[in-house]
Amino acid sequence: MKNKDIYILGIESSCDETAAAVVKNGREVLSNIISSQIVVHRKFGGVVPEIASRKHIENIMPVIDEALRQADKTLADIDAVAVTYGPGLVGALLVGLSAAKSLAWAADKPLIGVNHLEGHVFANFLSDAELKPPFMALVVSGGHTALLKVTGYNSFELLGQTRDDAAGEAFDKIARVMGLPYPGGPEIEKLALNGNPQAIEFPVAKLDAPYEFSFSGLKSAVINYLHTQKQRGAEINYADVAASFQQAVVNALVKKAVQALQDTGLKEIVLAGGVSANKTLQTELARAVSEVGARLVHPTPILCTDNAVMIACRGHFMFQAGMSSPLDLNAVPSLKLG
Amino acid sequence: MLTLAIETATRVCSAALCRDGQIIAAYDVNTGMTHSEGLLPQLEQLLQRTGVQKNEIELIAVSMGPGSFTGLRIGLATAEAMAYSWQCCLHGVDTLEGLAYNIPLEGMVLSPILDAQKGNYYQALFQWQNGRLEKLADTEVVNKERLLERIAVFGTPALLLGECGKLSGAELPEWVKVAPQNLRLPKAASVALAALDSFDAQADRKIFGLEPYYIRRSEAEELWEKRQKELSASEQ
Repeated sequence: MKNKDIYILGIESSCDETAAAVVKNGREVLSNIISSQIVVHRKFGGVVPEIASRKHIENIMPVIDEALRQADKTLADIDAVAVTYGPGLVGALLVGLSAAKSLAWAADKPLIGVNHLEGHVFANFLSDAELKPPFMALVVSGGHTALLKVTGYNSFELLGQTRDDAAGEAFDKIARVMGLPYPGGPEIEKLALNGNPQAIEFPVAKLDAPYEFSFSGLKSAVINYLHTQKQRGAEINYADVAASFQQAVVNALVKKAVQALQDTGLKEIVLAGGVSANKTLQTELARAVSEVGARLVHPTPILCTDNAVMIACRGHFMFQAGMSSPLDLNAVPSLKLG
Repeated sequence: MLTLAIETATRVCSAALCRDGQIIAAYDVNTGMTHSEGLLPQLEQLLQRTGVQKNEIELIAVSMGPGSFTGLRIGLATAEAMAYSWQCCLHGVDTLEGLAYNIPLEGMVLSPILDAQKGNYYQALFQWQNGRLEKLADTEVVNKERLLERIAVFGTPALLLGECGKLSGAELPEWVKVAPQNLRLPKAASVALAALDSFDAQADRKIFGLEPYYIRRSEAEELWEKRQKELSASEQ
């Protein structure tokens, strides 16, 4: 007997993208609608929480409606509503969460609260049909840097994370000091294309804990370098600075990830989070893990940044395991991994 | 018309059902529990206790502000999603006007107020005349002195309602009284009645992209504009 197809509506509003998507059987994207606010926040040099919340409430229902239309589904066809309930900006989260709870209740569908970071990990199931737990996940975003052991579809073990700044945060802050527009990560990457990654040696913290990260020292070193050069009146090759900084971050990430693979014997590693779109990181991590007999899976570019496909996908596997959330589910801005 | 009303503009989480102009159930909670946690369980219980079926509901009435930005968005997102799901009408009600529906009494000026932070209030002025609510003055952000001045010009006894906790103990002129606690707070039942009076079968089919009545811009925008003005002034 053929199993019935499962359709999950995913909703995401944790930061500055209002997104909704319909995913079939956890692997097939029927729609992926993202309303980005990047342009709105650019003049402020970063995401302004109150403005983000205002854009979310304006866009949330049109985005959900468009996701259902493009998937050629109605609410009645949907098996469950999956929604990000953390981590993220509390006011932003509450818009998507309130809409999702109300839709689920009104249409008598199960509500599934999803951890945004687990969502990023699950974006990889959409780009690789063969991927199955157990595998390693390197989560790298503006808010997080962590190594996560995915032991099953619904079981995770946090191996280690950053002690201070997230990798993406360091990218954004340095971009700001260099006067690059928000969001800074992709701008640094672009600039680094024309720079020499060996030009300047920036220090990367050496930590005793094998799977932990630290990027605040590196960030300060880059900012100090920029200030010192400016004071001396020396010319700064910004492309070299960008390339050297990016290289230092990539080196730290690759080293810990390879160590984690060797220690656990896992043969697959996935990238997750906004920084997973970084091509240098993808290339160097792929090469390094292949040297220890493992392979890298990373999301397609559109699924690297925030989206609702990954939330629907994560929701699908929770739905299959019979997991759901109560109607009094609240937003958890600092929701943890693992 | 079976109406479901939501009022989350302040710390009161309130929901009500109204059938053919009669309030059949109302549920107000004023404990400071977040609306995100409280609202849907309250709605669920309202339906359970009244036996009303979801598909019977024809109109969603929602309080649009002014008020707590986050509270307003929780109420509006919830209301829009329900209206979308049930394909019913959605009517937004000014929170201050909703408050005036708490006390439909003629012969006095009603001054609903809501806390606008830093000693300021959102204030509008109303009066009931021949069974209709007339607006005497539009919503403004005012301090206590200005709040009283705006009432004084009418030369009629006035009643304060809404978030007047900080004013009730203060010395107020004798022509201004504070409404008793049970009539003072925002209520979804009043929002339902206000919505029914101004319901528009055509316009209320629009359920997307409604904007809460914030009145104020975000602090970041105000600062940004101030800085731009300073910059252009210093350039001249």
